[in-house]
Parts: sequence; structure tokens; C-alpha cells
Amino acid sequence: MKKSLLLWAIFGALMCLLPLFTSTGTLRVFIFANFLAIFAMSWDILSGYTGYISFGHPFLIGIAGYTTAMLTRHTGTPLFLSIPLAVFFTMIGGTLFFFPALRTRGTYFALVTLAFMEVTYHLMQVVEPSLTGGTRGLSGLPLLFTGAIPNYYLSFFVMFVIALGLWALTRSGLGTVLSAIRLDEESVKSAGLNTSKLKLFAFMLSALVAGIGGALYTHYLGSISPRNMFDINFLFTILIAALIGGEQSIVGPILGAYFLTFLLEYLRPYIPGAWRFLLYGVIALLVYYYAPKGLYSIFQAGTNRLGKKIKRNEQYGQTT
Amino acid sequence: MAKLLDVQSLTKKFGGLFAVYDLSFHVDEGESLGLIGPNGSGKTTTFNLIMKELKQDEGEIYFKGKEISKYPTHERVKMGISRTNQIPRPFSEMSVSKNIRVGIMPDELMRIISMNSQSDAERKIGKSVGFKEHALAMYPRELSMGDLRRLELARALATNPKLLLLDEVFAGLTVGEIAELTELLKEKKEEGLTFIIVSHDLRSLATLVDRVVVVSFGRLIAEGSFKEVIADEKVQEAYLGKQHSQI
Repeated sequence: MKKSLLLWAIFGALMCLLPLFTSTGTLRVFIFANFLAIFAMSWDILSGYTGYISFGHPFLIGIAGYTTAMLTRHTGTPLFLSIPLAVFFTMIGGTLFFFPALRTRGTYFALVTLAFMEVTYHLMQVVEPSLTGGTRGLSGLPLLFTGAIPNYYLSFFVMFVIALGLWALTRSGLGTVLSAIRLDEESVKSAGLNTSKLKLFAFMLSALVAGIGGALYTHYLGSISPRNMFDINFLFTILIAALIGGEQSIVGPILGAYFLTFLLEYLRPYIPGAWRFLLYGVIALLVYYYAPKGLYSIFQAGTNRLGKKIKRNEQYGQTT
Repeated sequence: MAKLLDVQSLTKKFGGLFAVYDLSFHVDEGESLGLIGPNGSGKTTTFNLIMKELKQDEGEIYFKGKEISKYPTHERVKMGISRTNQIPRPFSEMSVSKNIRVGIMPDELMRIISMNSQSDAERKIGKSVGFKEHALAMYPRELSMGDLRRLELARALATNPKLLLLDEVFAGLTVGEIAELTELLKEKKEEGLTFIIVSHDLRSLATLVDRVVVVSFGRLIAEGSFKEVIADEKVQEAYLGKQHSQI
């Protein structure tokens, strides 16, 4: 526990110092990585832990984005009001997600959530285009900050606070019982626990995180459109970030998000267009093949070894 | 003595087959009841109905005098009924102590979140069913059948039951393990635990149970002390077939 907190502190400090060393271009990549990390953690707390695989996270993120976009555009609501409202509506969306989870599991649940996303994608374009901006979406939305450095700090701090919060929660009994639901939901009921209540909490928590991320992301980009939001590629980026990093760890999705974002970014000059995605598929497969539990397992093995080495040195120091 | 569990005319149909038909029996507080019968006679189904892992088609189930048909599984567990599974089903990716921890957990979100990662309660329960200290950190895949059954029992006891339903706890165990487990159950009974036990190991049951209920094809065919029931013609017929029972 102490060792982990130390690692978190080091990570936080390093990331705070980052703008001193890097260009604004790299910072912008980091900003995207931070947002992706938020989305991947949101996915992890629900799907990674409870095993209810969501293929509809863009739906939740989209509710947040569209709520705040429409509020600021049409009613002139200030951001400090529109963003909390967006998060609130996302959590309502999270409960919508929850109802199919009372009856379906596994693949069926995943497909229902995918349907949520697809239906919203089509509805956004035809229902009330004057409100939603139709196919083109809404642009020219107010920004929270301008410039890479303030935006970097914002995205990092939000990501960092969410990460610490989720990390602490999942190391408590909550993490244990959510994993238990994934392993054998009936047995959790037999332990006298109301699994519906626990699942609902996981859904709300996931929606809360997705909502915060989605609203802030929209005001970072300054625009939103159905094509970019309710998109299968966006969904897969979130899934792969969580899986490559290692699900059920909270730390994994952060590692995965950074890895994936920088991978795609650095491949950009060498490989044109969509071919990059082919390569990241290959890399994802390689990671799975050699480290099925994701980058986090490699990271953990590394820190364990380091910890043992330090311990050994200390012991050696004492005896001499 | 007060009836702890009272089952009235319980009926469950699977398609056209009556798995349990018009079954009535009860167990008193502090009593131990054997539930026996040939394979497929509806013993496990009865347990599933009592836990509401299945819903009965007809009949009532009273626990402490209260009709509990409308309560879901987790509510019944909170009232004080718990079971072990015939085929152990531990949480495969969790250590023995973590498996027990899920059983201890209170059904309140805030208390689950504020739970200590190392609690003495799970160690105590683990040890009470005979786990050694090092075994508490082991994973289910590393355990023998005997230890898996022990873990089932520990998880059921972790919910602090008044009534424990034991499904084939002796199956697949060595003679030594059976003796150990029998002793353990006797101890629990001394401490005031009521239980219903399903087993094919009649010899172990003989010393363990106060009374026996025999079912065949979902119907009650005999009831009484172990000796009475074993001597019953219908029971012998159900277990061995007509011809053998006459020999």
C-alpha cells in the first residue's frame, strides 16, 4: 500500500513537471492520452471488474458531450453549470444501461449496449437537428482553457484524481465483491449480497467517470459530432486501451491509454492513414500473446523485482 | 421445539417431470435432518427451492414461522439460511481467505468499501473449518477436493446461518476427511447450528442426524429415525430395486 502510494506520488510529480521538458505538440498528445485514460478507467470499473462488457461507452460519453454542448450553445448556460448537469444526465444514462443488466449477461449484454450507441448515432442525425446540429454536430463551443499547458494540467489533474479514487475503491472490499460478481454472480447472492444494488453502483460510478471525461473533452475540442462520438473506432480505442493495459487494475487502462496514444502518434509519419490501425492491431495481438494480463502485469513484475532488490540491499547493508 | 424451517406441499415441475412433488417436511431448531434418496430424487432441487435459486410452482416455505416465498436469495441468506454446493463453486481467481471474505461482507455499500483488507474474522472462520494458516493464501485450483468442500462450508458459515443446507459434503472425500468433517459438524451442532444434510454416505449420516426424510421421484416416502428409515421396505425398494430388497 505504502509502496503504491509512493509510486502514485512519483507519477503525479513527474507528470506535473512534464510541460517543462516537452513541446506543446507532445503535450497535446498527452491531453488526448489523459482523456482516453479516463474513458478506459470508466470502462474498467464496470466491464473489467463486474464482467458486464459494455460496447456502448461512447453512448455515455456522448450524453455528457451533447448535454453540455447543447446547453452552452442554445441556452448560454455557463460551463460551471452545464458540466455538472451533463455528468448528472450521464448518470441517468448509466441507469438506462443498467436495466438490460438485470436480465442479460455476457455477449447479449454487450450487444444491447452496442445497440444503445448505434441507435443514438442515428437518432442524433434525424431528431431535432436544430438542437443537436444533425450530422454536422455542434462546433465553436466555449473552451475551458486555451493553450496546451492549461489544458494539459486540467486533463491530467482530473485523470489523476479519478484514478486515485477508483484505485482506492477497487482495493477495498468493493473491488473484491465486483470481481466476485464477474466470477460467479449466483454465489455472491448466496453470500447474502444484493448484486443488483452493487451492479447499479458500478454502473453509476462508470457513468460518473465517463460523464466527467466526456463533458471536459467536448469543451477541450470545442466541437462534437455524431460521427466522431458514436463511432465504433472510438469504442475500440477505449476497449483496446483498457485491455492492452490490463483490465481490473485501474492502473492498466492508464498505461494502455498512454501506450496506445503515443504508438499511434509516433507511427503517424511512417505509416499513412488507416494502415496505422492495422499495425496497432498487430501490436495488441502481440501484447496479448506475451502478456495476456496486459502491460500492467509487466509493470507489476518490474516494480516487485525493484522492491525486492531494494530490500536485499537494505538487508545486506545491515549485516555488514 | 419450535419449527425452524417448515416446507409445505412443495412442488416443482421441469417440463412434464415433477422434480419435487407435494413435498412437506420440517426441521426443528437445533435439529439435524438427513435428506436422502436415490440419484435424481429431487434433493438438490429442494435445496434450490429453499434458497430460491429456483422458484417453486406450488407450496409454501416457512422460516421461523414466516412465509418466505417472495424473498430473493440474498434476503433469505440474511434471514439465516445458507447452503453449500454439491459441486464446489469457489471464486476461482481469489484466495481462500478472500473467498471467505465475500461471505462475511455486510450487504451495505459503505461498509463494504470501508472493510479492512485483512480481517481476523475470515481467518477465524477458515481455521474453524480446519484450514492451516498457509492454506488461507492458496487458490482454489491448488486445493484438494476435501479442502474445496471445506471452503464451501467456510463460505456458508461466513454468512452466520441459523440453518445450513449441506449438499453432498462427503462426496469425493477420503475416510479421514469424512471423519474430520463429521466431527466438525457435530461441534457446530453443539454450538446450536441447525442443518439439513444430503448425502449418499449413509454410514456417516447415522451418527450425525437426529431424523431422516427419504424422497424418491420428488415424493416423500419415509420419515423417522435413521434406524427406522433404513429398515423401511419402501426405502430399500427405492434404493436397491424391488428384487434386491426382498433378498
